[in-house]
Amino acid sequence: MTSVSSAALTNAMRYQQMRMQADLVKATKESSTGRVADVGLALGARTAQSVTFSRDLDRLNGIVDSNGLISARLSATQTSLGQLSAAAQSLLSSLTSASSGDGANSITQSSGNSTLQQLTSILNTSVNGEYLFAGTNTDVKPINDFSAAGSSAKAAFDASFVARFGFTPADPAAANITAAQMDSFITNDVQPQFFGAGWQANWSNATDQQIVSRIALNENTPTSTSANQDGIRKLAMAATIVSSLMSSNISKAAKDTLISRSTTMVGEALSGIGQVQSQTGIIQKRVSDATDRMKTQVDLFERHILDLEGVDPAEAATRVANLTQHIENSFALTARLQQLSLLKYLT
Amino acid sequence: MSLSTALNIAQSALLATSRQTAVVSRNVADADNPNYSRRIAVVTSTAPGARSVDIQRATDDLLFRQNLSALSAYSGQNALYSGMDRLGLSVNGVDNASSPSTAIANLQKALQLYATSPSNQNIGSTVIDAAKQVVRSLNDGSKAIQDFRTQTDGEIGTAVNDLNSLLGQFQDANRAVISGTRSGTDVSDALDQRDALLKKISDYIPVSTFTRGDNDMVVNTADGTTLFETIPRSVTFTPSSGYAAGAAGNAVYIDNVPISAGSGGNTTASGKLAGMLQLRDGVAATMQSQLDETARGLITAFAETAPSMPNATGLFTWPGAPGVPPSGALINGLASTISVNAAMDPSAGGSPTVLRDGGANGAAYVANTSGGASYSTLLVAYGDKLDKPMSFDPAAGISVTSSVSDYAANSIGWFQGVRQQASTAADAKEALAQRTADALSNATGVNVDQEMSLMLDLEHTYQASARMMKTVDDMLAALLSAVG
Repeated sequence: MTSVSSAALTNAMRYQQMRMQADLVKATKESSTGRVADVGLALGARTAQSVTFSRDLDRLNGIVDSNGLISARLSATQTSLGQLSAAAQSLLSSLTSASSGDGANSITQSSGNSTLQQLTSILNTSVNGEYLFAGTNTDVKPINDFSAAGSSAKAAFDASFVARFGFTPADPAAANITAAQMDSFITNDVQPQFFGAGWQANWSNATDQQIVSRIALNENTPTSTSANQDGIRKLAMAATIVSSLMSSNISKAAKDTLISRSTTMVGEALSGIGQVQSQTGIIQKRVSDATDRMKTQVDLFERHILDLEGVDPAEAATRVANLTQHIENSFALTARLQQLSLLKYLT
Repeated sequence: MSLSTALNIAQSALLATSRQTAVVSRNVADADNPNYSRRIAVVTSTAPGARSVDIQRATDDLLFRQNLSALSAYSGQNALYSGMDRLGLSVNGVDNASSPSTAIANLQKALQLYATSPSNQNIGSTVIDAAKQVVRSLNDGSKAIQDFRTQTDGEIGTAVNDLNSLLGQFQDANRAVISGTRSGTDVSDALDQRDALLKKISDYIPVSTFTRGDNDMVVNTADGTTLFETIPRSVTFTPSSGYAAGAAGNAVYIDNVPISAGSGGNTTASGKLAGMLQLRDGVAATMQSQLDETARGLITAFAETAPSMPNATGLFTWPGAPGVPPSGALINGLASTISVNAAMDPSAGGSPTVLRDGGANGAAYVANTSGGASYSTLLVAYGDKLDKPMSFDPAAGISVTSSVSDYAANSIGWFQGVRQQASTAADAKEALAQRTADALSNATGVNVDQEMSLMLDLEHTYQASARMMKTVDDMLAALLSAVG
């Protein structure tokens, strides 16, 4: 004989109702957020995946942001290099006119002087409080001003002239300097000041070491340039020679040598700067490629996370509707069952 | 046969009916009591016309046992699941917001930004702040776990006291059953009470029972330890006042035999006690080990290196500094003692530039030898090291080789994996407990409608018997008046 106890009959719906109400709470939350109500319970051990995806997503976004900073630095560098190149170009044209005998010495000299000043000011550009051409030593001006009072670079240059010839360029005796002597002076005395120990001692505070940055999860690259690049040194040397010696009492022959050496050097400087420009361009491209790549990854990760944690909003809404309906039915049934009693008929 | 015999029979019928009615009314009164078993009044005819009423109690041993074991299983599973819910929330926070994994991710982000602008002191301080968050997450998590263990330990103590008092009550109920059975009185109420106590006991510990002569019951635990035999066996437990990482908790002894803790997400624990033991010494202790291993991984990843010098602690340090913890071996309690190196902490008089340049352990460890303010190589290297695989102690229960940031994420995965199993199993076991309780109630409970229809029958019997008496009375009266 199957029997049903009154307690079981009245309690029959209670447990189900409790479960359905708990489910309704979950379904409502899922329907409103579009994500599973409890990621841990829904994914179990796979929660680690979702955590890792979210973390990598955050990191990628962080790198995309920091790449923005790097790009700003690189494009400022690129602009500065363009300006340097223009300054070199104008020095070159005044040297060219000087070599053809057109320009007055003083004009050529002042052209050298202004190139030197431009060079100093461009190289000392800073972005976000960091000097662009300082290598890693970004809190110190990379180039010392040659024309400033007490400039050690100027003192060294002047001293080397006196040491070589025994008199200053302004001395009338300077008119006797031969082309060969001038050539030897430039090669043996001036060049070490720019390509030897003298550069780091008197001219530059920049380091050869560059800033290395992470531009993608697994990609590092140097993202700065240094004032110690050969092209820049050559430009500085040519401009220094022109600005220091052109308006002196030096002989025409020596000046011709000086002009031709400087012209060659500026030409080399231009190609050196061009090289740095193209290197910088390559890095710019790498950074922007990396950023694009990461943005694609970000989209992909977002989709993965959605796959893992997302719920179909239509399905969630249907579930809410179904559960509400079921609970209502269950209430109605409970009420009916309570009515169902023999006692009503016993009078 | 005589009229007086008929009168006697009717009288006996009235008596039997009234006793049956008493049983019906008792049944109806206790219809809603889940621990009440339906009484059945069995009428037997002895001598011709004489009737006696025996009261029997509806029982179903098989269903009762099933219900007890389902109750134990659900109780153990539920203790595990609800405990894990609390534990996960207090260690990892809502949506893992305060988990070490999240804190490490933020540290990585801050490090990335600092590596991009190494000369910016403010960003450097952000890295130190993020590192402090990591440390706080580990310290707080570690404390939360040990607090949780202490709390659970206290709950186990309370449960043991409850169990002892239940066993005491069980002794009284059992005695009442035995003496009632011996003197031949109705022991149904005492049996009800004893069964109800058994249900309560099985909430704490799984039981198996057998009944000896005189209805004397012996209660064993499911694995055979005697829990009650004539007198209750003592359940003993010494609570600890506090817990440290790696410290094992005290066992619960029944009759000097320790209760074994449950294992697994769909736990083998049956009964609240085994479930709580599993929480205290299994889940919570493993979670602590994972935090300790995460802490060790961080200290190792940020260690300062220098040629021909031993590795020394960098951004993260511990009481054993300047040495770095040995590779691949768990150090209990490391997560509670890890801290940010004061040499790099601006609020402790240090500077984040030490992180950028190296040298927290002396000039030999300085990596930025030229002193440039935008030296980023070391910062980038730290970021790489966070992603570099290292070996972890297998005792902590998850991936032996992974990067420290993945390890922290896997720790969450491990926990949620166990929690998911526990949740699914709790649902299933709850349904089984509910189902067996229903079945038991159907088999032994009261159906009011049935009792009411029985009542109608009894009413008719009573009316018929009364009418019979009236008729006999009339007949006797007619006889007497004829005689008179």
